[in-house]
Amino acid sequence: MYEFLKYEVRDAMTPNPIAIGPDVKLREVEDLFESHDFNGVPVVDGERHLLGILTKFDLLKAFTLDSHLMVPHYEEIMEQTAEAVMTRNPVSVSPHLPLSRLLQKLVEMRTKSLPVVEDGRLTGIIAREDVLKALRRATLKHEIPVHADLPQ
Amino acid sequence: MTTLLFTHPVCLEHDTGFGHPECPARLTAILNVLRTSPFAALEWREAPAATLEQLTRIHPQTHVERLFAQVPKQGQYALDGDTILSPRSGEAARYSAGAACAAVDAILRREASNAFCAIRPPGHHAEPKQAMGFCLFANAALAAAHARAIHGLERVAIIDFDVHHGNGTQAALEHDPGYLYISTHQAYIYPGTGRREERGVGNIVNVPLLANSGSADLRHVWRQDIEPALREFQPQLILISAGFDAHYMDPLAELNFNEDDYAWLTQQILAIATEYCEGRVVSLLEGGYSLPALASSVAAHVRALMEAPKAAQRSLIKSILERQRAKRKAAGA
Repeated sequence: MYEFLKYEVRDAMTPNPIAIGPDVKLREVEDLFESHDFNGVPVVDGERHLLGILTKFDLLKAFTLDSHLMVPHYEEIMEQTAEAVMTRNPVSVSPHLPLSRLLQKLVEMRTKSLPVVEDGRLTGIIAREDVLKALRRATLKHEIPVHADLPQ
Repeated sequence: MTTLLFTHPVCLEHDTGFGHPECPARLTAILNVLRTSPFAALEWREAPAATLEQLTRIHPQTHVERLFAQVPKQGQYALDGDTILSPRSGEAARYSAGAACAAVDAILRREASNAFCAIRPPGHHAEPKQAMGFCLFANAALAAAHARAIHGLERVAIIDFDVHHGNGTQAALEHDPGYLYISTHQAYIYPGTGRREERGVGNIVNVPLLANSGSADLRHVWRQDIEPALREFQPQLILISAGFDAHYMDPLAELNFNEDDYAWLTQQILAIATEYCEGRVVSLLEGGYSLPALASSVAAHVRALMEAPKAAQRSLIKSILERQRAKRKAAGA
């Protein structure tokens, strides 16, 4: 019943996730979102130091109406780099954070995923789906005997 | 007295390029609606070209000449990221400005009580020395200056309900208290001007609206800001910069006006015009980029313009009857 409380972020995260460099173009980021089920992608330097995170919302924000032009130049915006639109200094978590606390954080921040950082370097990413999977794992163990007792 | 419709075929030949929202199909959609039977009483007139004298009332001659020189012989030339010239764009701009001035002439000669100019390119972003935001010449400011210069008017009001602020009209008129410029627009989008604090010499009334403002907000600012400013000014002619991109279907903004709002606003403006200047109103097409919404909104606007004389007669009869009733009552008492 208390299985979930034993989990840490590192038990549920995706380790060594795909990350991009700051110079990657938005068009390529969009390709990445198209081919993977990411909410966002971490932006790192050559030594995998976390520089920022680029979410689908950051990408959408690049195309909103502003006071500069009447019509956004969609093609030109697609050629901008990740660095130009990413969220800098993103909230990150330690791999040793209890998963129950990570769950609280996701709900409070209404965010879909958070980067996992140890010693300044990106080691993983943890998303809503990972936490849901861990919850199912933790509760399934408990429920198996109940189902076994059901009459045929 | 009917409503005049000024337009010119060359306005369809200002070619902004594939996919550009300020496209010839806008005008086609409008003219197709205005050709239907409910609008049979409209009197169509072919617009003349604006003269250099008319254009230089607002734009320096060097600027006008440079703009015409930038018109490409073929293909397209981009003045900025939004504003595109094609071979017939210079002419289209001249006839659009010419329509605005001719409509002012016709209305002040009492040939009709009001007029709508179905024209493009639009004008309210065009500053005296800078074409921008799809606009080449400042049609509304040119019409206002024409009314003052040729017809000797002292007070001309412009109401601009396009979703974008008319930076060009404001820049042209903000130093002269003989003009009143009132603009409703969505805050924080293009062109970034139009804050309430921008008041010119007390003759500019900017009414920025937040995204998702709609019918109720429009009625509120009419009562709060627009009507009092108009009454204080006592216009001798009212011009409308009629953009229909504050409609809830428009792709370039986030206000939520509808056809009934445009009809209502037009009726309010006409009521003020009836009170102060014999109903004299000249309306000029500005923006509006959803073709179906543009067509139906222009229809609502023009229908209100056409019904104006009838509405004015009704209210005139009503006020005469009321006065007689009061007289009889006073005599009987």
